[in-house]
Amino acid sequence: MNAERTRRRLIRRETHSSRAAASIAAAAVLAAGFLWLAAEAALALLGRNALLAGPAQLGQWLAGIPAATLPAGLMAAGAGMALLGVLLLGTALRAGRLPRHPLGSERSAVVADDDVIAAAVSARARRTAGLAPGQVTTTVGHRSVQVQVRPTSGLPVDAAAIREAVADELAGYAMDRRIAPRVTISREGVLGQ
Amino acid sequence: MSQTNRTLNRILLALLGLVLLAAGVLTAAAGLIPEVSAAWTSTAASGLDRSRELLATAPLPGAAWSWWAVGPVAGLVLAAALSVAWLASQGGGRTPRAATDVDGDRGSTVVDIGFVAACVSDALAGNRQVLGTSVSAWRVHGATGLQLRLEARKGASPREIADTAEQLVLGLDRLLGHPVPVLVRITSGTRSRLAGVNRVR
Repeated sequence: MNAERTRRRLIRRETHSSRAAASIAAAAVLAAGFLWLAAEAALALLGRNALLAGPAQLGQWLAGIPAATLPAGLMAAGAGMALLGVLLLGTALRAGRLPRHPLGSERSAVVADDDVIAAAVSARARRTAGLAPGQVTTTVGHRSVQVQVRPTSGLPVDAAAIREAVADELAGYAMDRRIAPRVTISREGVLGQ
Repeated sequence: MSQTNRTLNRILLALLGLVLLAAGVLTAAAGLIPEVSAAWTSTAASGLDRSRELLATAPLPGAAWSWWAVGPVAGLVLAAALSVAWLASQGGGRTPRAATDVDGDRGSTVVDIGFVAACVSDALAGNRQVLGTSVSAWRVHGATGLQLRLEARKGASPREIADTAEQLVLGLDRLLGHPVPVLVRITSGTRSRLAGVNRVR
């Protein structure tokens, strides 16, 4: 296989969820349920006592549910099952993006966590403006970078310089999708920095 | 980099979701609409009668059981086995060998992953930006691929770390003799949180 395709495949698999956790939970529940039913059916076949309830008893119970349960209870149980179904469908059909971004690279597939990117952008903005740690907060989303700067009270910051530094930092990452950063300078400064 | 079959996971989860959704809607409808509830009771009762009749027919030779009694047990065992197979298909593909080279009948050379890990941690020992490294090998399309996890110091530029990793990978290429697929993961972890920001720059 061609190296570029392998590289792209590695990045795709690393930035999207495999749904292994949901699959493991679902498969474990299914396996336990089927094993129990198989054991009950086999025991009934051999004429032994049932573990919890034999197939005949289960069938009676299933047929008697609507008669034996309050309508409100049926509705609640149905809503619960439907909700679980919708959640599973959502897990299966959504993109399942993980909070990571691929960085441009010649040789290997490079994927960085979003919090590493956020910390680096914050550090760059802070160094540009000469602020203390904690005065710059960055949030990295799938398609957005938001930088929140809280200047020291009485000392205005150079917003244009910060914007340029943040844009330069992000451009250096050469991510597959260009992200335009949003820098906001809060009106209220902080004291004692 | 595991070999989890992601398409299979998505299809099976979607099917299970649809089944649960349908069962939930049916149950709720039975509570809401009396006709559905009556249809449920009558269908289940006739189904039970029919299954009792079937159990008596088509007897297996030499036993008191019928095919209709053995069939469901076999079906349930098969379904349980398939569920276990789905469970077992998660993950996998990790290998302790970074590279192998078979030299005819004279033997084969195996590069252990520990050797590569030692090289990487040696090369990055003096690096202030990288707090920890871990290397693992995975099977990728028949070949062996390497995964390099680099734990970044808080505020360290991922670009600088990626460039360092690039040099490192070029070195590994020379060491192993041929280029292998490499995934570099730049992460944060407990060490990033505890070590603090590098203030002297």
